[in-house]
Amino acid sequence: MGSSPPNRLPDSWAACKTMALTLSARSLVKRYGGVIALRDGSLEIQSGEVVALVGANGSGKSTLSKIITGAVVPNGGHLLLDGTPIQFPNPQAARKRGIAVVYQELSLIPDMTVAENIWLSHEPLRFGIAVNRGAMRDRTQALLDLFAGTISPKLQPDTPVTALPPDERQVVEIVKAISSDPRLIILDEATASLDTNQVNRLFELVKTWKEAGKAVIIITHRMEEIFRVADKATVLRSGESVGTVTIANTDEKTIVGMMIEGAVTPEQIRIPTTALESHVRLDVKRLNGGRLRNVSFTLHDGELLGLGGLQGQGQVDLLLALFGLIPHSGEVILNGKSVHFRHPADAMKQQVAYVPGDRGTEGLLFIRSIFENMQLPSWRKYGIVHRRHAARKDALASAADLQMVYASLDDPVSSLSGGNAQKVVIGKWLLRQPKLLLLGDPTKGVDVGAKGEFYALLRQLTEAGTAILFYSSDDSELLGLCSRVLVFHEGGIRTELSGENLTRANLVAASMGTAHEHD
Amino acid sequence: MTRFTLTPPLIALILAVILFFAGGLINPDFVNPAQATNIVRLAAFLGIIAAGQTLVILSGGEGIDLSIGAVVTMGAILTFRLTGGDNSLIWVGLLASCGAGVVIGLINGIGIALLRIPPLVMTLGMTGVVQGTILVLTQGEMIGATPPLMRQLIAEPLILGIPGVIFIWAMVGIGMWVLLERTTYGKQLFAIGVNRTVARFSGVRVQWIVVLTYILSGLLAGFGGFILLGFAQTVFLQLGNNYLFPSIAAVVVGGTLLSGGKGSYWGTMSGALVLTLIDSLLRAAGLEQAYQLIVFGVILLALIVVYGRQRSLRQ
Amino acid sequence: MNTIRLQRFFSRQSYVISLILLIVVVAVNYSFQNNLFELRIINNNLRTMMPLMILAVGQAIVVIGGGVDLSVGTMVSMINTLLVTWITPESTGGEIALAFALVCGIGILGGALNGFAVAFLRLQPIVTTYATSFIFSGIALLVLPRPGGSLPRDLVTFYRSTPLDLPLGLYVIGVLILFWIVLRSTRYAQYLFAIGSSSDAAYATGVPVRSVRVTTYVWSGLFAALAGIALTLSTGSGQANIGDDMTLNSVVAVVLGGIALRGGGGNAIGAVIGVIILGVIRNIIFFAEVPTWSQTLVNALVILAALAAPGVIRLIRRLIQR
Repeated sequence: MGSSPPNRLPDSWAACKTMALTLSARSLVKRYGGVIALRDGSLEIQSGEVVALVGANGSGKSTLSKIITGAVVPNGGHLLLDGTPIQFPNPQAARKRGIAVVYQELSLIPDMTVAENIWLSHEPLRFGIAVNRGAMRDRTQALLDLFAGTISPKLQPDTPVTALPPDERQVVEIVKAISSDPRLIILDEATASLDTNQVNRLFELVKTWKEAGKAVIIITHRMEEIFRVADKATVLRSGESVGTVTIANTDEKTIVGMMIEGAVTPEQIRIPTTALESHVRLDVKRLNGGRLRNVSFTLHDGELLGLGGLQGQGQVDLLLALFGLIPHSGEVILNGKSVHFRHPADAMKQQVAYVPGDRGTEGLLFIRSIFENMQLPSWRKYGIVHRRHAARKDALASAADLQMVYASLDDPVSSLSGGNAQKVVIGKWLLRQPKLLLLGDPTKGVDVGAKGEFYALLRQLTEAGTAILFYSSDDSELLGLCSRVLVFHEGGIRTELSGENLTRANLVAASMGTAHEHD
Repeated sequence: MTRFTLTPPLIALILAVILFFAGGLINPDFVNPAQATNIVRLAAFLGIIAAGQTLVILSGGEGIDLSIGAVVTMGAILTFRLTGGDNSLIWVGLLASCGAGVVIGLINGIGIALLRIPPLVMTLGMTGVVQGTILVLTQGEMIGATPPLMRQLIAEPLILGIPGVIFIWAMVGIGMWVLLERTTYGKQLFAIGVNRTVARFSGVRVQWIVVLTYILSGLLAGFGGFILLGFAQTVFLQLGNNYLFPSIAAVVVGGTLLSGGKGSYWGTMSGALVLTLIDSLLRAAGLEQAYQLIVFGVILLALIVVYGRQRSLRQ
Repeated sequence: MNTIRLQRFFSRQSYVISLILLIVVVAVNYSFQNNLFELRIINNNLRTMMPLMILAVGQAIVVIGGGVDLSVGTMVSMINTLLVTWITPESTGGEIALAFALVCGIGILGGALNGFAVAFLRLQPIVTTYATSFIFSGIALLVLPRPGGSLPRDLVTFYRSTPLDLPLGLYVIGVLILFWIVLRSTRYAQYLFAIGSSSDAAYATGVPVRSVRVTTYVWSGLFAALAGIALTLSTGSGQANIGDDMTLNSVVAVVLGGIALRGGGGNAIGAVIGVIILGVIRNIIFFAEVPTWSQTLVNALVILAALAAPGVIRLIRRLIQR
């Protein structure tokens, strides 16, 4: 094996053209509790087309794609496949009709090999019962050969998935999706963890798929990728499809305009730059650990320092290291003292707080009460046998400060809407009155109104002298709120933008790492 | 402010009352204050022994302590042997039984938190070690005696015809409530039971809480063995084994989630009452032991069906 | 490249470490008991291990699928009481065959009950199978309130026989290995490992998670029935709690066999090796003339050390990396 040229497709689907397909989503609606994730999701695609689904974070593009793949059941609207209305009860149903998705959150079985994962539930059989491991291995090899030259020799059909780095797991995900020879392939942020060579190869493949008559929906944060492969772009904004443009007749500016037009931008409350003369709260020198490579910067009291760049470039690792959650080396000087935190409890003693972005897995105990969630980091200060009333009073005051909407402090957090749940995560740290606040994409999945309140809160905090390190995946937040932004790329600080240089164009350019740097 | 809801512990308690009066239908002699006292007395032993199990199950991470049966036996045998029936040496027995429990719990905790051995396997392995230690210590001979004062304080009526063990149980109950609801340990225990990542991100030293929990479980089981001796008066190698699985069942029947993070000791107390009542009822009904086992199994299964459901795969 | 091969080898052949452990304990045993490899001794040893061996294979399948079955021991007891009630010293071959078939059916039914409760009612495996163990235990006591019963002479002799001068136990091991090899080659086995490793990812990929989960308990029920048959032939009589202790031993054997209790990995043959290790350790303690009252402790400490070994290695490795 391995003799076939890298770009030749497996025999099973190079020869015959794929059966034609048309898919149209019309005014799809999806609500989660009180929050509307998708208001009017519409999309048209047919065989031989590559459509990019574009939108800011939280615009509903992932909900729309999940409805198409059967992972989410819509509350309203229509989905037409080959002209007939259809609703998929589960992902298998969609796959049987020729729709395959490359998941962003991985769907691989960690303990199984690459080949076993790719062919799980459609293994080639011998005599109708025995798994034909030879054929499985050969076909896997043929599929992996599509990425030959961009993957390490470690990635073999028999390698256990646990032994693979994230980018190669993503390659396995892609290969798994196409193993069933689908008519429609959805690439949901599939390029996020791939390296440049792998992305190039993937896009060459997308072109061959297109020629073979497949339809491809691509969801990506990287504008440049849209112009490289897509024929059309459907733009979503705040849960609504605001239009579809033909890539050949448009430019980046137009699409960005559609994405942000009329959207609430926090430009009005940019926090003043006067903070820079104040006390240095944090001085980081040559920090390494996780994805970080020699990160150095300083942060002053009352400053809101933004961390920008594409997702997963080391911003979160920086926050984790500073909070003692991942092992790290280098020098961290906090309030004039050199510190090395090995556990969040150490960091908390020095009045550091970290608000994680993923509320569900890192921020909240869903089945416990609002009260307990808010006081979890602070119980110790209420005595060996807690002074419950004092704890309650503090929690009530904090909830009122944050304008939290809830029935009773004893209700479980699971009863709250996304915005209010996020307030609990923030509230539990504000109760400790931190001097250094680390924010890891705190407005993810929070509705517009709550965002506005949050921005006002940030202003209040900085005015009170709190130093804030603010990572956001939403560029407009960084542009609107911060006077200084560190742009991360592959674990290091690519550039620092402030003053006149802090523009969307420069931010995007530095994040993508493609355009020139501006001084 | 407070809203009345039918929580699992309350259901268990109501069930206990219904069962008690249902007993009257089977056997009119069943319903009287003396019988009620007796049932609470029997439930008290199970309840005290199940206290540590409650903590371990609340801690999540598939937490379970299968070694408590052996620890109960160990505690009773140590007290039996060290006091030799001497009232003035009771405190030695109490210290030794609790101390042995702490040591065993510490080993369990280290194995589970530091060596990452699954709790089921670790505590199962420790059961053998504890049983083996008992055999080495006793060389098969149960020498010793129960101090008479222990019987008087624990098993016999103390005040108003109520045996001392019921007061002890009540104190354990209050202690457990304070521990779970009013201390930092308790709140952090619930937190690690729900989600260990969230707990760690909130400054909880998860491994330390896990070790502490198994230590407490050992301590309470050792104490349970000490108390049980006052009732049983005699010791044998299987003494505590009969309390192992009922201790788990009492926790589950009391509405504590087996996956951890949600539950209460007062639920376990109700659960201990329900299990003891079912047991007494089946005896009172004159059922053969075979039917008792089957009925017990079916009831347990039914109770798990009511409380023990896990989340579904579909969203 | 070589490290990948090695990694790949160990991930699939998880029982290799168990096999090394087995060789070590057998060598130690041999130093104390020089006639260990005599046919008669091997036959005796394997005969006592056989029921647990069969049981542990069933337990291994459940554990690989991400569950655990704490009812298998009482199910063995139940099967034992049924067999000695149905089979008398005068039973004909046909009657015996019918009895064997019936108990296998009962084992499958019992397993299906467990499987239904765990997979469809979504109950926790530990407590569910603990609850059903009472039901099986009760039935056993109902069938045979007092120990007793006896089997036809030929049947007992057959169990002690050495066809073609090889111990019967070796044939059983051979059949168990063959069974596993065949099972491992099917698509079903892929599903089994997938649900044990990550039921969410398996569901997303179209694996019928619930049905596969039920079948794991059906297997363990069937193997409990077969273990019950073996145990009955071995003892020749019945007792309502005869197999109860085997539950926990089957779990220990599975772990010793390199099968992770979290599910999704391992090899059922490892469980067979685990049982042999347990038996040989017991042998060593006997022949090493460990004082009688210390035997249980030594045995337990050795088992605990074996269970803790992977964790200790991992901890040391972590400390070194720091």
